[in-house]
Amino acid sequence: MIERAGYLPGVAANDIAWQTLRFGGNENPIEIAVPELSDHQMQSMAATVRTASRKLKARPTQQIVESIDRTVARLLDRSEPIRQKAEDLLPRVTGYDAEMVRLGLTGYLKTFRKPELQKFLAEDFANPMMLDDFQPMPKGGLARAFGPDILAHIWAGNVPGLPIWSLVSGLLVKAGNIGKVPSAEPLFAGWFAQLLAKTEPEIADCLAVVWWQGGDTAREAALLREADVVLAYGGNDALAAIRGRVPITTRYLPYGHKVSFGMVSKSALNSRKVTATAHQAAYDVVRYDQQGCYSPHVFFVQRGGKISPKEFCQYVAHELAAFEKKYPRRSLSVSEAGAIAAWRHQEEIKSFGEGGRQILSDATGAWSVVYSEDSEDLAPSGLNRTIKIVAVDELADVAPRIAPYRKFLQTVGISAPPDELYALGALLGQEGITRISALGHMTAPEAGWHHDGRFNLLDLITITEIEGSAEKAADAFARYAD
Amino acid sequence: MDFRDKVVLITGASRGIGAAIAKAFAAEGASVAVNYLRNVDAADDVVSECRKTGGDASAFQADVTGANDVDVLIDSVLETFGKIDILVNNAFSPYAFDPENRKMFCDLDWADYQSQIDGALRSTHGMCKAVLPAMRGQAQGTIINMATDLVARPSVPYHDYTTAKAALIGFSRNLAAELGPIGIRVNCVAPGIVYPTDGTRDTKEDVKDMIISQTPLKRLARPEDVAGPVLFLASPWSGFMTGQVLYVDGGLVMT
Amino acid sequence: MTQDEIIRELLDFIAADDAAESAFDRLALEIFAYQFKHNEPLRKFCLQRGRTPRTAKSWRDIPAVPINAFKELTLSCCAREDAERVFMTSGTTMGGLRGKSHHPNLAVYDASMTTHFKQRFMPDRDRIDMGILFPDEDVMPNSSLAHYLALALEHFGTDDSRNEMGKSGIDFDALFGWLKRAETTGVPYALLGASYSFVPLLDEMKRRDVRFALPAGSRMFDTGGFKGQSRDISADDFYTQLSDSFGVPRRWCINMYGMTELSTQFYDNGNEVCPSVKSGPHWIRSRVINPLTGEDVPRGDVGVLTHCDLAHFNIVSTILTEDAGVEVDGGFLLLGRADGEEAKGCSMAVEEFLKAANVAATG
Repeated sequence: MIERAGYLPGVAANDIAWQTLRFGGNENPIEIAVPELSDHQMQSMAATVRTASRKLKARPTQQIVESIDRTVARLLDRSEPIRQKAEDLLPRVTGYDAEMVRLGLTGYLKTFRKPELQKFLAEDFANPMMLDDFQPMPKGGLARAFGPDILAHIWAGNVPGLPIWSLVSGLLVKAGNIGKVPSAEPLFAGWFAQLLAKTEPEIADCLAVVWWQGGDTAREAALLREADVVLAYGGNDALAAIRGRVPITTRYLPYGHKVSFGMVSKSALNSRKVTATAHQAAYDVVRYDQQGCYSPHVFFVQRGGKISPKEFCQYVAHELAAFEKKYPRRSLSVSEAGAIAAWRHQEEIKSFGEGGRQILSDATGAWSVVYSEDSEDLAPSGLNRTIKIVAVDELADVAPRIAPYRKFLQTVGISAPPDELYALGALLGQEGITRISALGHMTAPEAGWHHDGRFNLLDLITITEIEGSAEKAADAFARYAD
Repeated sequence: MDFRDKVVLITGASRGIGAAIAKAFAAEGASVAVNYLRNVDAADDVVSECRKTGGDASAFQADVTGANDVDVLIDSVLETFGKIDILVNNAFSPYAFDPENRKMFCDLDWADYQSQIDGALRSTHGMCKAVLPAMRGQAQGTIINMATDLVARPSVPYHDYTTAKAALIGFSRNLAAELGPIGIRVNCVAPGIVYPTDGTRDTKEDVKDMIISQTPLKRLARPEDVAGPVLFLASPWSGFMTGQVLYVDGGLVMT
Repeated sequence: MTQDEIIRELLDFIAADDAAESAFDRLALEIFAYQFKHNEPLRKFCLQRGRTPRTAKSWRDIPAVPINAFKELTLSCCAREDAERVFMTSGTTMGGLRGKSHHPNLAVYDASMTTHFKQRFMPDRDRIDMGILFPDEDVMPNSSLAHYLALALEHFGTDDSRNEMGKSGIDFDALFGWLKRAETTGVPYALLGASYSFVPLLDEMKRRDVRFALPAGSRMFDTGGFKGQSRDISADDFYTQLSDSFGVPRRWCINMYGMTELSTQFYDNGNEVCPSVKSGPHWIRSRVINPLTGEDVPRGDVGVLTHCDLAHFNIVSTILTEDAGVEVDGGFLLLGRADGEEAKGCSMAVEEFLKAANVAATG
């Protein structure tokens, strides 16, 4: 039985045109059926979702939190059939190692349990009850937060489960959600929607999951027509193109590609701590093969510790070799391999100049570490477990090297003592860095993380305020007016 | 085991165990750097044997107990072969294995111990230190040090020789612990009496018989018997082993 | 070996009928040892990979230098001042840096070109009336293609052969005159040029509603493709247009695959089918490799093309191109560029970053 992706309330399954996507190459091929909706079908499905979202809006937020929590609990349960399907199919579809996927799913889903969902709410709303009813504002008057009738999600990439972040955000603000899955991982969003529908039949229809072929602007237009708010992930070119097609009256929230990096203080480089530091750094590199916006491309490492930055490279190299056994990297396409080769060749050519640059790599090309002593700017690596380690005298020296790339900066993983951490926080924030985590934690943002410095929930809602003037004026018409 | 495209440096490889190891690597396609101290003819013989069996080899003269010589040796090997993947520390100060006329404890001065330590341990220390930058540059490498089963079981108490080898084992283990995290493995091979070599050519028959009678596999090691375990420790087949001592003595010692 | 000895051996090798792989290996390794000795960046490159001439057992063991290296480094065995000629790439990438190949003298380059050109483009005759659609060598002294075409003209063109591209472009009237003459006299004609040079010609012919039916024995030659030029045409369309416009069967529309970074060229046996099978002479050998591991891909798999060109002795003889290809019987198929693609996840890839950074810099 071919697995079907998507979730389509209000559209009869027999009426849907299904396309087939093939994954797994020749060794372990698998086919997934993905739904292609007609304009008419998108329209009627959007109407279904819109109606359902009104029901959602009538529910207290706490109830929604509990519904999501119950759904996530089932997904965390390894005996749950959909969870088992995920553990079986996601590695085959994405190519990521099965262990990495399994552990990654559990870690990620823990971000959406009830206490974590409360954190999402608390992070954005001083008074989350604003989502349920009008609440007093500090400036006077009352305000209520209304989520959109239709929140459109356009997801990208192959990191399993990525759509859940924005889906959960949409549900918390009581939006109707229609999400378009990426061809690279078309399954998880639909499974989540299915499980939510089973767990909470009352709100089943407020989530829909669709697909279209990349570049199918007609189908994209059919969704954009229905949306009040559009949220999109992707590269700048794709995001700009979508922006061009989003009506001016529709709110557009783009999340583009990012370059993240790490910083290691000399305090983390003594003979005892170095192995742990190297392990954490390597872990951040291998998770999802550096495909996340939070994945590091470079580590800036401070000189002066017992272990030099050059020696640190060797520790990281061996950790990557060990990780290759534990979580083998997925097999790459010719052009992905070409990208790594091109990056590595460029580095090799640079190494003919002044001494100092060194390239360590695995014979099969499974990972590469480049060591550099040049005062070079931040630049992306070749991805798929290729990392550059740059020696610096002071971690603060890094600030001017990242300044020109403000638009692409996101996460920095830091291994440093407290005073350095806070000082760096100020410097990095100034340059546009939006998240600072511990080394080893770069790829696991906390619940409520301000993705690219934005607001997960606030960005989705509109505030309707009843001004003090209206309140006062209404008093005059009360039956009990004096 | 395929050692094509691998470069092996073996100290004291002009004769005996060292020569056998060199030829065994060459037969599997390796490029072998045959270090020798004095016997250039013997070294050249080893080199031509190596080339005949399908590998490549060159002879390099050096006194590995001297720091300068060691650096020059490493540089020459790198210049010829481009890299060093495997280092076998086989050289040691000459020793007469004579159970009947050995120096007993009270005959020995510290200078005797020092001489053996310089031969076995100091040379190994110098070679390891000198080869490490090249191995670090590849984030992998293998070092194999030649110990002796006498450390575990002194069938004949050659105090000075065996004490030096015991220190060599401790040295190797510590090195293994520190270099493991950067992908460099350090192991020892501990043969028993190997016959025939320069040191054992004159061993008396009854001594040999006594040892054979206590050896489960009922014979003495030949130099070729030691080569196999060395190749194993140099190959990816032992890729998850470090800090080990492999006893190659027909089962005389089990530990 | 000295430079002169190498040149002499190469000229003999080229002049010989064919070569067994062992003879090729021997010469390739000799040249590699020569380059390793005299070419400092190459030596560093090889040592970085733990390879010396000593440990190279066949031409396949010679480390392939990425083609980009030519832009960043001077990879010459002879001193720059001693080069009779320097060929440079057209430099549209990487901030205008141009890849350079220094030739101490052009004897080997010329022998390589003429010997193989004869085999592939002129198997049936010694000379032919030729029209060249490319600027003259004097106008472009650093262009290897200009020199190549000058050699073609000199060694294989009749007295009635001309360069039809002047400073102001193609002299259409003159060219059409020659083509008409070939039509009426029945004397075969060959038109040679850069692929993109044919575009304005075909456009002009369309504009004037002009076609030619060149006599049997006529042939077309193009090289270089359309990357970065004004218009993108598929190979199939191009050869159809060429064949229709000039009346030359696609079997005699020959494409040459060459580059400034090599001293030898590949040809196909016409373009009846695209992509066509490309092959070279016995002094160049090619591999299709996995660019990450450097290993050959299984036969029939797509990989990146690597060429070992003995004639390119002064620079480096083994080049890793940026061209994707696949090995087939009789040669290989060129499958376009093996560039990096956009990242699959939300992590930025180099190309996107550079593009965006350039935009930011230029505001």
